[in-house]
Amino acid sequence: MLPVSFFVAFFLIYPFLITVRTSLYFTAFGFGEMEFCGLGNFFSLFQDEVFITGLKNSFVWTLGSVALQLTIPLGLAMLLNREFRGGMVAKSVMLIPWITPLVGIAMMTKWILEPQLGFANKILLQIGLIKQPINFLGSPTFALPSLLIISSWRFIPFGTLLLLAALQTIPPSVYDAMKVDGANSWQTFRFLIFPMIGSMIGFVFFLAFAWNFNTFGLIWITTKGGPVNSTNTLPVLIYRRAFRIFNMGESAAVATLIGIFLIAVGFVFFKYIWKRET
Amino acid sequence: MRKNRISTQTIILYAGVSLLLFINLFPFYLVFVGSLQPHADILRGATKLIPVNFTLKNYVVLFRISGGSPFSTFVLNSIKVAIGAALLSTVVATIGAYGLSRYQFYGKEVIGRMLLLVYVFPTIVVVVPVYDIMAKLRLVDSHLGLILIHTALTAPFCTWLLRSFFDSVPRELEEAGLVDGCSRWKAFLHIVVPISAAGMLTTAIYSMVASWGEYTFVMMLIDSGSKKTVPLGLSAYMQTYGNIEWGKLLAGTALNVIPIVVIFLPLARYFLKGFMEGALK
Repeated sequence: MLPVSFFVAFFLIYPFLITVRTSLYFTAFGFGEMEFCGLGNFFSLFQDEVFITGLKNSFVWTLGSVALQLTIPLGLAMLLNREFRGGMVAKSVMLIPWITPLVGIAMMTKWILEPQLGFANKILLQIGLIKQPINFLGSPTFALPSLLIISSWRFIPFGTLLLLAALQTIPPSVYDAMKVDGANSWQTFRFLIFPMIGSMIGFVFFLAFAWNFNTFGLIWITTKGGPVNSTNTLPVLIYRRAFRIFNMGESAAVATLIGIFLIAVGFVFFKYIWKRET
Repeated sequence: MRKNRISTQTIILYAGVSLLLFINLFPFYLVFVGSLQPHADILRGATKLIPVNFTLKNYVVLFRISGGSPFSTFVLNSIKVAIGAALLSTVVATIGAYGLSRYQFYGKEVIGRMLLLVYVFPTIVVVVPVYDIMAKLRLVDSHLGLILIHTALTAPFCTWLLRSFFDSVPRELEEAGLVDGCSRWKAFLHIVVPISAAGMLTTAIYSMVASWGEYTFVMMLIDSGSKKTVPLGLSAYMQTYGNIEWGKLLAGTALNVIPIVVIFLPLARYFLKGFMEGALK
């Protein structure tokens, strides 16, 4: 156990504690001049419009992602829950978006959504849905939804396979028994499927929630939080505060809030939702 | 009648699967096919779905030079870091998982859950302090620093995965070994390791893939062009504003994705199995 604990403690827990400490100081760089200010950084954040926007964006981003990334995989998993020829290959190939390095996804996004050269606009123009090319990533209206879809596109195969694995633990004979008893599909779902895979649904929910809440790379590479802060979620805000505006104290305050929030969510998850059968 | 119903269902299934695979793969095709067309066509928006003016020139340019360091340097760096992280992380995870699986101690379940929590840890909240720590260790701008932080990111999850593999090795086998006069270490090496080889391979591949794609810490820790890994090298092509070098970018993206897919796909089955065993238990 020791080595893992060492890595986690030294590179993740200890740094997080430093972050918490930094959040209590007025400081530009996190070293040199540091003036203790108690919760001053937190107070100034909540009066800061950019932070409030970030909070809203994170909220929309996470909620939207979780909604897409829970319902679609559930539907797909039920569709795929049977033996069929090429099933194994299809399932492996499906995973490609999920294993593709983030930068690859980001580049692809930029290329396909490019207003002049990208395929998305070409198609939309050709079928006559739009008259002018849309600058998906350059417009405050479209940037966040576009990235949301990309991010979900990447997660959905993974969520599907997790749920599928849970579905496969239900023996087919039970479905037949339900049918004989005259249950309709909704009742089958409500009384058989949901109780059996509820714990896995919870798990996928937790993964999707935490991952999306933390999404930084995809947004940073594609839009840097712009245009006009429309994709400025809290993780992006942390980075911008620290390295664009040089207010390490506030950056650390945001980081502290995020960290504590996620630990709380994790705690609730493990305590009430995650049932590990032993 | 019954037969008919089944075949309609099958048609829906196959249509669904095909649509799904199309949505999953078509964007990759667009990048790949774009990378095989002349740069002038790319800039005019004249790329075709089937490469009429087929050329490998973008790849040639990519390997000749790229703002100081050729792309091959990035690839070599990435390979070095990814293999380093995979080895270290597997060793660390093996020790941890074996301990979790075999010894009873207080707080065991809590630690198991903590490992999973680290899997979704918001790395962005520790980026700055980690930079300071690395600076104190004189590991900024070094590959060793990257290997260490990537290990810290992947090892917990690997431990979690491996634990379920170790749990499935019957204790009796080891005990038989001990009775026959093996040391605990020897029993582990000769009995547990061979049986869990698939699990260890899975974790190694997982760390390798994760390290290969990791962007945030690489961006923070690496300054010199000659030490960049592929993700950082690629994003540098994009940040030359107003003049995005699409040809190089598309070719580079294709080369960033293809090795991962080639390495990972044959092993995807084991990975999924390991993940699910860990998740369902």
